[in-house]
Amino acid sequence: MLEQYRRFVVRNNMLRVFLAAMLLFGSVAAHAADQAVFSPVPGTPLATDFKLLNMNDQQVSLSKLRGKVVLINFWATWCPPCRREMPSLQRLWLQHGGKTDLRIVAVNIGENAETVLDFMGTLEASPTFPIVFDKDSSVLRHWPIKGLPTTFLLDRKGRVVYRAIGGREFDSPESVSVINKLLADDK
Amino acid sequence: MALAIAGVALVATPAAAEDGQAKTEHSVQAETGIESWQFTDNGVGVLLMQISPDQARAFFIGRGFQRDDVEYYASSCVFMTLVKNQTPQPVYYRLGDWRFSRGDGIARPLKLKDEWLREWKKRGVSQSSQIAFEWSQHPVEQMLEPGDWNQGMTTFLVPHGERFDLTVKWKIGDNIHVGTIPEVRCAK
Repeated sequence: MLEQYRRFVVRNNMLRVFLAAMLLFGSVAAHAADQAVFSPVPGTPLATDFKLLNMNDQQVSLSKLRGKVVLINFWATWCPPCRREMPSLQRLWLQHGGKTDLRIVAVNIGENAETVLDFMGTLEASPTFPIVFDKDSSVLRHWPIKGLPTTFLLDRKGRVVYRAIGGREFDSPESVSVINKLLADDK
Repeated sequence: MALAIAGVALVATPAAAEDGQAKTEHSVQAETGIESWQFTDNGVGVLLMQISPDQARAFFIGRGFQRDDVEYYASSCVFMTLVKNQTPQPVYYRLGDWRFSRGDGIARPLKLKDEWLREWKKRGVSQSSQIAFEWSQHPVEQMLEPGDWNQGMTTFLVPHGERFDLTVKWKIGDNIHVGTIPEVRCAK
């Protein structure tokens, strides 16, 4: 009980700082959604493969998703913009999941299933796309990431074609338009 | 969530203007007294928001840090620092190029996360806590494409409650840009 209260206080303290920052900075995430959601990645390198366990201790292998368009989101529950953008990933997943070749994988950094479940309990709709655990951040270090959240879009050939640093609204028309173009490619 | 939103009633007052398009706006969070400085210059924005010692303690205790390590970190001057790119071009910056000055004319570097990580290793901080620390700090360098933004904590070796001027530097193409955020104050 004490532990749950402590987590609540910590979460809300940092959320308050973040929300205040968002208001001050003219809603950065909203601005980002209005303009470029994703930036092209020069050279479209082949994505570094990973095999990580999901919430059910089942292995998720990135290379097995070859042939699909994959959105990979690197995140943590203590990262306020990561928390803020998670509902938009779920809305995107609800729009596409099972209906198109879009796959979403959220790679959690340094935490465990219990912590993520705690966070999911605070959301109106819990993510139903795979969340996998990079507990020692060894996968993260093989990707071109300097801060969280960072999100990548992979084409059907497994190439990293787009990147977004900082929180986004992934179900915005601008984001969906980029994803739909990738889905339309190379069928 | 209601608690969080109630805490962000802000009072913004223009504090200073840089030459050209640069300006800094100072704000105070009405409920907590937490202060912020929002610097903007032609589409590049830098926001510094005080993190109080209590907020820093709460965050890192929640990440598994031991009490004495948390106290060591909280004794520093900590800011939530957010950099955004609203220009149509990539913006590159390195925190190692930024300097702060406390009125004695001496330009001092920030204490960057690599230095902290070396210290945490020596102090025997757990691997999982080190990972959380590493990724909660502002990246030491970053290339922001249009629309990108990054946030994270930065630390300054300045006593709580004291003021300093922060000189920030960034690069667009081959052009180096410099701006100063004046009279930034560490949280008490």
